[in-house]
Amino acid sequence: MGTVYATRKFKFSAAHRYWRNEWTAEENARVFGHLTVVHGHNYELEVTVRGQVDERTGMVMDLGELKRLVGDLVVARFDHADLNRDVLFAAGSVPTTENLVRAIWELLAPKVGAERLHRVRLWEDPTFYAEYFGS
Amino acid sequence: MNSLSVTRRYHFSAGHRLENAALSAEENARIYGPCYRQHGHNYHLEVTVAGPLDFATGMSVDLGEVDATVRTALLDRVDHYDLSHAVPELADVVTTGENLARVFWGWLAPALPAGSLRRVAVIETDNNAFEYCGDDAEGNP
Repeated sequence: MGTVYATRKFKFSAAHRYWRNEWTAEENARVFGHLTVVHGHNYELEVTVRGQVDERTGMVMDLGELKRLVGDLVVARFDHADLNRDVLFAAGSVPTTENLVRAIWELLAPKVGAERLHRVRLWEDPTFYAEYFGS
Repeated sequence: MNSLSVTRRYHFSAGHRLENAALSAEENARIYGPCYRQHGHNYHLEVTVAGPLDFATGMSVDLGEVDATVRTALLDRVDHYDLSHAVPELADVVTTGENLARVFWGWLAPALPAGSLRRVAVIETDNNAFEYCGDDAEGNP
């Protein structure tokens, strides 16, 4: 039998701004526009795992386990948090959706298993998402 | 070159529980948690089919035919039934989303134009979706 893909959805709300300390205020404003002002989003995160179905359980992965992993590693960390203050971004990396989706992949891959993790898709708002399939 | 895929979305409502009859009640409860209890879902089903683009009609697949096929080959067999107890073809299947996606592929592939089925997605809830694209040997990405 072929591979089955299972996707679970999560939500968290977080604040961020786009800003580079080494740039002038004018340069930040020119590149990032009004995103330089602190604001926030209701993020939606879709995590897809892939694999052969365990014929005993009929499951690719225990989705309860996936819920715990994503809950502990991602939702607990970012929900109602200021992303710019997270250690991932405090050093100056801009917490764009693109950077955040890669960071979430790196948090999950060691625990979920890089061979099992297929895709991480992060919706910043209902009109925009970024997705990452690993390197 | 001119193959184009289209996706159609359907829904059905059905009861089920997750239980492997070969396992003890304790083991089923441990593995499946609340899903071991009898419950049900408003399922969404996505069917992706592909075909050569017909430049006269601007269509690659007759969606009316796809609708009729999905209705008779699938929806009529599961809508408002108990998947775990009232559908003979699912008698030996633990009705997880993974297994339903694979079984539904097996029902639809022979009923649709040969080789046209690309993907079956079973969306169990707003939070859970399961996709199957056929045997890996048949070009599953």
